[in-house]
Amino acid sequence: MKVAHPVMKMAALAAVGATVLAACGTSTSTPSFIGPSGAFGKVPPAASGPKHAGTITVAEPPGATPTWIFPVTPGANSSVYTAYSFQYEFWRPLYWIVNGVRPVEYKPMSMANDPVFSNGDKTVTVTLKNWVWSDGQPVTSKDLLFWIDEARAAIKESPANWGNYTPKYGIPDQIVTATTPNAKTLVLTLNKAVNPTWFFEDELPLIQPIPAHAWAKASVSGPILDFTNPANAKKIYDFLAAQSKSTKTYATNPLWQIVDGPYQITSFNNTTGAWTAKPNAKYSGPHATPMSSLSAVPFTSDTAEFNAVKSGQIDQGYVPLTDVPQIGSIKSTYNVFGYPGFGFNYVTYNFLDKTGDFNNIIKQLYIRQAMAHLEDEAGYIKAFFHGAGGQAYGPVPAIPATPYTPSNALTNPYPFSVSAAISLLKSHGWTINPGGTDVCANPGTGANQCGAGIPKGTKLAWNMIYNTSPAIIGEQVTDLVSQARKAGITITLKSDNFNHMIATYYDVANPKADNLWAMEDFGGFSISAYPTTLGIFNSTGSFNIGGYKDPQADTLINASVTSGNPSAVKNEAAYLTEQQPSLFQPLVDNVVVWKKTISGDPLSFESLTQYQLNPEFWYFTK
Amino acid sequence: MTAYILRRIGTSIVVVLGVTFIIFFLLHLIYPSPAIDVLGPKATGPAIRSWNLQHGFDRPFIVQYLSYLGNLLHGNFGYSWKANQSVTALFAERWARSAYLSGISLVFAVLIAIPLGIFQAVRRNTIADNVVTGLAFVTYAMPVFMLGLILIQVFALSFPIFNYEASQSMSVWGVMTDWRSMTLPIATLTLISVAGFSRYMRSSAIDQLAQDYIKAARAKGLPERLVLWRHLLRNACLPMVTLIGLSIPFLLAGNLITEQLFNYQGLGLLFFDSLNNVDYNTLLAYTMLGALLTVVGNLIADISLTVADPRIRLA
Repeated sequence: MKVAHPVMKMAALAAVGATVLAACGTSTSTPSFIGPSGAFGKVPPAASGPKHAGTITVAEPPGATPTWIFPVTPGANSSVYTAYSFQYEFWRPLYWIVNGVRPVEYKPMSMANDPVFSNGDKTVTVTLKNWVWSDGQPVTSKDLLFWIDEARAAIKESPANWGNYTPKYGIPDQIVTATTPNAKTLVLTLNKAVNPTWFFEDELPLIQPIPAHAWAKASVSGPILDFTNPANAKKIYDFLAAQSKSTKTYATNPLWQIVDGPYQITSFNNTTGAWTAKPNAKYSGPHATPMSSLSAVPFTSDTAEFNAVKSGQIDQGYVPLTDVPQIGSIKSTYNVFGYPGFGFNYVTYNFLDKTGDFNNIIKQLYIRQAMAHLEDEAGYIKAFFHGAGGQAYGPVPAIPATPYTPSNALTNPYPFSVSAAISLLKSHGWTINPGGTDVCANPGTGANQCGAGIPKGTKLAWNMIYNTSPAIIGEQVTDLVSQARKAGITITLKSDNFNHMIATYYDVANPKADNLWAMEDFGGFSISAYPTTLGIFNSTGSFNIGGYKDPQADTLINASVTSGNPSAVKNEAAYLTEQQPSLFQPLVDNVVVWKKTISGDPLSFESLTQYQLNPEFWYFTK
Repeated sequence: MTAYILRRIGTSIVVVLGVTFIIFFLLHLIYPSPAIDVLGPKATGPAIRSWNLQHGFDRPFIVQYLSYLGNLLHGNFGYSWKANQSVTALFAERWARSAYLSGISLVFAVLIAIPLGIFQAVRRNTIADNVVTGLAFVTYAMPVFMLGLILIQVFALSFPIFNYEASQSMSVWGVMTDWRSMTLPIATLTLISVAGFSRYMRSSAIDQLAQDYIKAARAKGLPERLVLWRHLLRNACLPMVTLIGLSIPFLLAGNLITEQLFNYQGLGLLFFDSLNNVDYNTLLAYTMLGALLTVVGNLIADISLTVADPRIRLA
């Protein structure tokens, strides 16, 4: 995802599906700390000595106002903030798939033991741990089933009613039956075999148990209904969705007081987005003792937020990219740590654009390799990101590290080199005109020829549309164009805004726009812990914006989702990194700060960079 | 006068209706449906179709427009899908805050600019005039955000006299009484406006000072103080009346940059967020309100001019 762009972050979540990034450790689990490589700043170890409770103020970035509280969130209200920094404080996901900066499970925070797959990976058995609701009732398998049935009811009314919905894949479409043989066990029978790792890391964390004993009703004072009856499930969904639309009553509605997360909401301002919460005394997960209250302070701009940081008025905030050079001025008051969120930024190629035979040009792997050689990622990070960034050469970035990072994602397979780009073009029959435009001199399909469908005289000239926000997109593409010019590739830049781009140049919205653009940089996507690019780079993917088509990629992506091979997604990432279906870009660090008077498990501070807010692990040292 | 006002009101209604149609048309031209912006770039086809159906974007343009107008006549400005609130509620929560910030700044700006302009006109081409002119040019040329940042750095961070952000109180009274928080945003807007207003005032006063009636007043032996306040002020202020009238839309439009900079939830910010989210109903309501206030502002300016200057007769 474009971490520096809130709108993109919000848009990204709608897409992410199962991106349950995740979090932290207990306050006693890390005696000595070794930070992740590639980090900007560092996280100090947890402070020893007296621990005090208080009210922790955390910055809410502009545009992050939560607008939905019921944990079946419509696409229109989905955002990383609404999910990870708001809802998750009250209702925890079934599995917690962020551990510091790494997108892997943190078992102590998961509400269930790891799932067991059987019946040829068509049956999934989930066994709950001993968690309780804030009213003392146990969290049971019925609460899991309740969420699934409500998600189904929501989707049946409109697919837009659940932002994480992917038709035909995962939850709930692949669930044929869901049963609860006992209070602790949920058994899901699927319509076909799935890749267990994918289903575990991407799909099951989407489930957020909700209290059936209190919420399964169709009116405020109505009786508890049998939610397994679809007609009742619809009535319940309509009621709960209506309650969730009433943003003014979030803090006063008794429904929302029954939680299994670490906090209970105590106030909510639906104009500003400010909210406060008190500790849930019955929280079953790991946490610091004593636990502090929480106050989310909204900001109208990054500048306003950083002013608050500079004046020391906020306990935990962030440093906008443009203000990274000013970090020295706050270091005496704040700890600083930056790391990229797990995801990828990319410039999309349009494999359908016939203008100047671009579709045939970009089909050539050597052209895409040449383009990759023209991208100076290290230079971008130094010059435009002020050193706060991580390189990424494929759909799985070099950092954060995951078990699925292929070796070619760690070292740039196409390092920045204009001469290497020129060599590739020359060796494939192009006449090089540095500063001008290269021309195909040797057409044909031979190893030293331009490639299929590229006639003699074809020029390496096309357009590129880019999003003006955040500014780093413009800076990167401007440099790319400049380097490309040295190699004789003429790219005409056209700036645009995000909304217009996705509405105009995006196949889902406007399939008639195929010949309007050759390259497009609208931002990027956050990806799930299990980083398959299903939907993005498979030929039938709904979000395959540029119409990339590669049977081998299709096979590998399909294997990531359906085969039992635990390395499938790694193979997929390795192949796509090699094939460069788009031009992958470096990731900006999310640079977070917290006052030196606050301490806690280091992993809980690291996970802030993955958008996870876990103040239940924090305490005041003074 | 009554006939003129009625005629102007009739024209204004036509203008406002025209604005709604043009804005509605342009929005639909750029974004036939905001579904993908609302649901996100990974929204699936079925989700988009379902959303369009649910919100009436599957209907012909003219039907959508007439339906929108019908709702407007019933006081329904529609629903903001992103904010998950009615547009009326969104405006109700913010308009008074924006109006206060813009209004008080406008009042201060006028109160400072008028005497300043007259002072410069009377002392034109002196050192004092040149200094004030220089300062006015610097301030006028300075972007609002830069002036705001400088004021924050100096008066909130380096010397913590005022707050770095505007009042976070949601009640207008709370905002009005929080001088420590409101001084810097008001000062920012006032200084920028003073720079422009004082230039107009100076030019106008210089023009008037050359008029025969001023010479006659002086020839009669009137003290200079009375010449300036009794004769010059009223005539020199006529351009200011128009300027103030045209500023009325800004009272509700809010000041996006100042609101962003000083962490102040107002209408300007609401509009900006609506643009980002392609929030049709909020955009339409905001634009319509802007058109309405522009028309009303012009009307007030015209009427005020005739009151201030009896030589002007309404046609």
